[in-house]
Amino acid sequence: MTPLQQTVAWLDERLDLTEVRHFISEKGVPVHAQKIWYYLGGMTLFLFCVQVCTGILLLLYYRPSAAEAYESVQFIVTKVEFGWLIRNIHSWSANLLIALAFAHFFSVFLLKSYRKPRELTWLSGVLLLFLMLGFGFSGYLLPWNELSFFATKVGTGIAGAVPFAGHFLLRLLRGGDDVTGATLSRFYGLHVAILPAVATALVAAHLLLVQRQGMSVPLDLEIRIRQGEGVPQMRFFPDYILRDVLAWYVALALLAALALFYPWELGNKADPFAAVPPGIRPEWYFLAMFHTLKLLPSHIAGFEGEQVGVLAFGAAAALLVFVPFLDRHALRGRRSPAFTVAGVLGLVYLVTLTIVGHYAK
Amino acid sequence: MLLLVLALAAGPEMNSCVTCHASQQDQRLARPAALFTQPDVHRERGFACVDCHGGDPSAPDKTRAHDPALLFKGKPTGQAVVTTCARCHSDAELMRSYAPKQRVDQATEYAASIHGKRLATGDPRVATCVSCHGAHGVRLASDAKSPVFPTNVATTCGSCHADPERMGGYKLADGSPLPTSQLSDYRRSVHFAAMTKGNDLSAPTCNDCHGNHGAAPPGVGAIANVCGTCHAVFAQKFETSVHRQIFDKGCVECHGNHAVLKPSDAMLSANGHGICVPCHSGEDQSDHGNVAAEQMRGDIEGLKVRLDGAGALLARIKNAGIEVSDEELALREAGSKLTLARTEVHTFEPPRVAAVIADANGVVTHIDDAGQRGLAELRYRRRGLSMSLGAILLVVVALALKVRQIDRQRS
Repeated sequence: MTPLQQTVAWLDERLDLTEVRHFISEKGVPVHAQKIWYYLGGMTLFLFCVQVCTGILLLLYYRPSAAEAYESVQFIVTKVEFGWLIRNIHSWSANLLIALAFAHFFSVFLLKSYRKPRELTWLSGVLLLFLMLGFGFSGYLLPWNELSFFATKVGTGIAGAVPFAGHFLLRLLRGGDDVTGATLSRFYGLHVAILPAVATALVAAHLLLVQRQGMSVPLDLEIRIRQGEGVPQMRFFPDYILRDVLAWYVALALLAALALFYPWELGNKADPFAAVPPGIRPEWYFLAMFHTLKLLPSHIAGFEGEQVGVLAFGAAAALLVFVPFLDRHALRGRRSPAFTVAGVLGLVYLVTLTIVGHYAK
Repeated sequence: MLLLVLALAAGPEMNSCVTCHASQQDQRLARPAALFTQPDVHRERGFACVDCHGGDPSAPDKTRAHDPALLFKGKPTGQAVVTTCARCHSDAELMRSYAPKQRVDQATEYAASIHGKRLATGDPRVATCVSCHGAHGVRLASDAKSPVFPTNVATTCGSCHADPERMGGYKLADGSPLPTSQLSDYRRSVHFAAMTKGNDLSAPTCNDCHGNHGAAPPGVGAIANVCGTCHAVFAQKFETSVHRQIFDKGCVECHGNHAVLKPSDAMLSANGHGICVPCHSGEDQSDHGNVAAEQMRGDIEGLKVRLDGAGALLARIKNAGIEVSDEELALREAGSKLTLARTEVHTFEPPRVAAVIADANGVVTHIDDAGQRGLAELRYRRRGLSMSLGAILLVVVALALKVRQIDRQRS
């Protein structure tokens, strides 16, 4: 017996792993032309784990105050052994994670994988996407450099445009009327305690639901299955797991390449009294929203343009949450081209506005 | 009704002078009353028309109010203006009760100025107190709206000195016509930019070099002293230089007077637009001035190139996460030495400039060494990451092969 087999036998004797063994040997994954999209969720999960690990390492040295935050990050990247690598990976992984989360979201949306009985999986996934954006927004300020300081000012200013509750939200986010050390403390607490706790619970629920309900198949295939057509299956272990690990390694290779060729810069320390540097804009994943608000006229139907924009984004986010219940055709196992068109248009809008926002002056 | 309001607004010191003059159609007569009721340092301290103009302010009719027997003087002009102002402003005891720190020698200074001297010879066109300070609506010199507030001085002086018609007939000591380009020249100067764009009220304007009440062109020999009031180190270096004996106009010879432009290293040359061209030949290698200029300029340009290179190197490795704060400090120190070298240029002794440059070059060499060590660290990091990336890609290939092998076995 190999040491691994000996360990499994030892555990089996005490815990009775029959069910686990049964699950592993019996579980299958449907094979079809769209199966490539299955791996995006796994890659996103892998990057989430990278974020947790590198985040914990950064926590050992990071000091969350306006006076010390920048210096502590500077210390991490210059004095701490491999600190530069950890910070580099954390920064790049955050961006890759959000990109993959969006890709996963759109693949699920366009394949209509949210349809019955996976409404709760969709709901937890959408909430996780929002949480990832929250991680990005709160983490961006933590190095307390010039760009992050002014971008946070702009970002929290947008929250201030929410009708009725805007001023309250702005003060809640900033811990005062302006971005100060109080804002940094709040964002820090949000980034390392509140968001991780909620995200971990949601990830666990999301994974549990995926394992419980199995992989969804595209609607067309499901229709054919209902008509009696068989679907080839792939064994979950080791066939699917090996492919998943392969995808993780691809993500890891991408991370290493980005850290190698484009080391993440620290910039200059934030100076609240300095003039706003030209070209201040939020991180790329907020650019489409930011640029849309910039393009809106000052007044729409008697209301402030920015307020209308913020309300529209809020409404769109709420609609996304309830997509499985709104798409009545998919709910009944029928094609829903209107939602496909809406998804494609949403994707085109996000990509276009992000690119335009990036090059806009 | 309007008159009543004016009278009430002016307070108990108001009198028939204001009441009557404010109602005049002729603006020459009405304007003084209007100005006097606006912010005016004298009215605010209890002075009234009668204190300068005499007469009887309580009289209801003009004849009695303007009665010469009651010392009515009308509008003082020429020397009478100075005498009228000096009655209070040269009285130390009186001024102590209003502005204890204010000087009381303005009239004496004025008498020594070009304006005062020409007035004494009977020239009625020269400036007197009211030409600069105004007669009514007079504000403190520290009031930003005052015509003698630092940012307004040049315009105030220019109201006469930039007017060719008014300046017609006036000549310089050498007999040439008095130029009227001073204001436009000054507005191109680094001093004007510091004052108006840099909001530096200590930057020099007309009165800082010419004096105010005792205004006169600085004597030829005094120019270095005047500039040295602010540029003390440069003046000190220049005092020891060979040019001290040669330059009649001191600093002005190279930097100009009213249009003092931002100095640049390019000025230090006997070629092209260099400042040494009028006296030295850039072609002549036996011209000591040319050789000295080229040597000092070469040293300075060499240091600038090295500073730029060191700065770029530090920025590059800093962005990659290498600690360079000590080197950044050293770079600032080397930059200060460049400024010091530029100061030493005013001694016109290349060895003194070279000594400072050599010192700075030593600092830059240390920075370069540290920068090279940083680059080596960066290369080490990249090698490590490249190897890791290679290892990861190998695992990717191995996994892909394993997946393919399993797929073949299944099929």
